[in-house]
Amino acid sequence: MHLTSADIQARVGELGARITEDYAGKEPLLVGVLRASYVFLADLSRAVPIPHRLDLVSLAGYGRALGGHAGVRIMKDLDAPIAGRDVVIVDLVVDTGLTLNYLLTALRLRDPASLAVCSLLDRPYRRLVEDLPLRYVGFTVPDEFFVGYGFDLDGLYRGLPDIHSLNK
Amino acid sequence: MPVFQAYCGRQPPRFVNQAELEVAKLLDFYGIRWEYEPRSFVLETDDEGRVIEAAKPDFYLPDQDLYVEITTMKQSLVTRKNRKIRKLRERYPDVKVKLFYRRDIERLAEKYGLSLAS
Repeated sequence: MHLTSADIQARVGELGARITEDYAGKEPLLVGVLRASYVFLADLSRAVPIPHRLDLVSLAGYGRALGGHAGVRIMKDLDAPIAGRDVVIVDLVVDTGLTLNYLLTALRLRDPASLAVCSLLDRPYRRLVEDLPLRYVGFTVPDEFFVGYGFDLDGLYRGLPDIHSLNK
Repeated sequence: MPVFQAYCGRQPPRFVNQAELEVAKLLDFYGIRWEYEPRSFVLETDDEGRVIEAAKPDFYLPDQDLYVEITTMKQSLVTRKNRKIRKLRERYPDVKVKLFYRRDIERLAEKYGLSLAS
């Protein structure tokens, strides 16, 4: 096991406290990146006691692009405009930063008041895009394959409460 | 050879292995502007100023100001490449260069479904 449920919950609580402090008096919008972030988003939302809104976005990344599309695209867009809103993108892990960079670029065009990223896990040594507004990071993790807490293996095990490291 | 949208070099890229091609396709898909081997860095010269060692990283990402070197060698065989990159960083401390090892490429392949078979 790489991270126990207790480790994760403690850290999510700390991240929530920081977001609460940073966005006091505002009404941030937490945007979860489907599908992996759904468990983290739910826990983080409960750790942020100030009023905030939730939304979800899904992207067709490389290897999942259907119909011969030549570039990344948004499969499920936000439900509401974000102009003037304080947006926090919630992701489970950032590694190359390619998908996140695309999402940030797309959302910046919609004139949010601010844009930040909260990721439970980070693999900075795999980064190809460096200038990401990664303001909140739970854990820096080694280059291992994980299942649980949103991570899947062929679509399974996302609901496990702990994060397990697998040798594939 | 695919038509690249985000390639911003002058000459058509001539990749030396499948891993380089796949990384180029990946960058292109995400709209990250890239060049292929745009610059050689002199690492060592002899007494008469002739270049005896140079490094030419595979990719340059202008928006990141980042050079990326791809290696598909086994971990045990990358010592020479590591030394070269270390030397490049020492000689050109303002240049950002990242070495992607075979293991990194395999992880990318897993994540993005890249085809690494030559």
